[in-house]
Amino acid sequence: MLNNVDNYLLIIEKIIGVLAAIVYAFFALIVVKQVQTMSKNVKDIFNPLLIVFAYAHLIGALVLIFLALTVL
Amino acid sequence: MKRESDLDVVAPDEVGTEAPIVEKVYDITGHTKHPLSSLLINPDVFTFEEKAQQEKVLVVARSHWVTNVGWILTAILMFLAPSFLNLIPLSSDIATRYKILGGFLWFLVTFAFVFERFLSWYFDVIVITDKRVIDIDFDNLLSKKFAQANILMIQDLTFKVTGFAQTMFNFGDVFVQTAAEVPQLTLERVPQPQKIIMVLQMLKEELGGKNVK
Repeated sequence: MLNNVDNYLLIIEKIIGVLAAIVYAFFALIVVKQVQTMSKNVKDIFNPLLIVFAYAHLIGALVLIFLALTVL
Repeated sequence: MKRESDLDVVAPDEVGTEAPIVEKVYDITGHTKHPLSSLLINPDVFTFEEKAQQEKVLVVARSHWVTNVGWILTAILMFLAPSFLNLIPLSSDIATRYKILGGFLWFLVTFAFVFERFLSWYFDVIVITDKRVIDIDFDNLLSKKFAQANILMIQDLTFKVTGFAQTMFNFGDVFVQTAAEVPQLTLERVPQPQKIIMVLQMLKEELGGKNVK
């Protein structure tokens, strides 16, 4: 009985973890869009680097989803 | 041999090749110190969406770098926080998988915090061209503020430096009173506000003189 409760809790924990990671990935996507819009409006020497950082952050968010799926 | 550089970090090789108005700006402000400087003078690599084709960007100003110290210190603390986890009682009882996931998430959030704050500083710019002064502010993805004042419509220029930090590091607010629909443009926390005012006054005299001729 207790084993079943533990299993359910683990499943719920995993679902919440993955959902939270997906929400964060959406935030990371918004950051990419934000940097692209800003770069279109104001063009300066560091713009390409900032776009790279934004995409790196998005990749990090996708890795987070992967970690939530595998580690939890 | 012609030296090429993307940013105007030193005086040009050939004196007198810049337009006279640019030389006058150099006389007032000096040259750009480095690419992340709060004050870029006659930048080669800067443009903005609303720029007219013949318009020349003379000065690009951002908030003084010292305005970033608060969030930089916060970011350093956030970055170091996980190393203090062992000081918390019972932290060793936390399963490794939670530590891995939590640690990764924490660094991601720290990176996002630093990145957002840098973007907020980097893209909020004040641009002085040979025709107008422009204030571009991005509050967030859905909010962009663009305010401009034609140089010839400027009626009055004042600046305010208050407090220890502003006095120490010489930055403050410049108030541009105009005869246009927008009566006042406020350029906030700009470095060397007195030089910004001198540049605007010089431009007004130059452009006013050309119009009279």
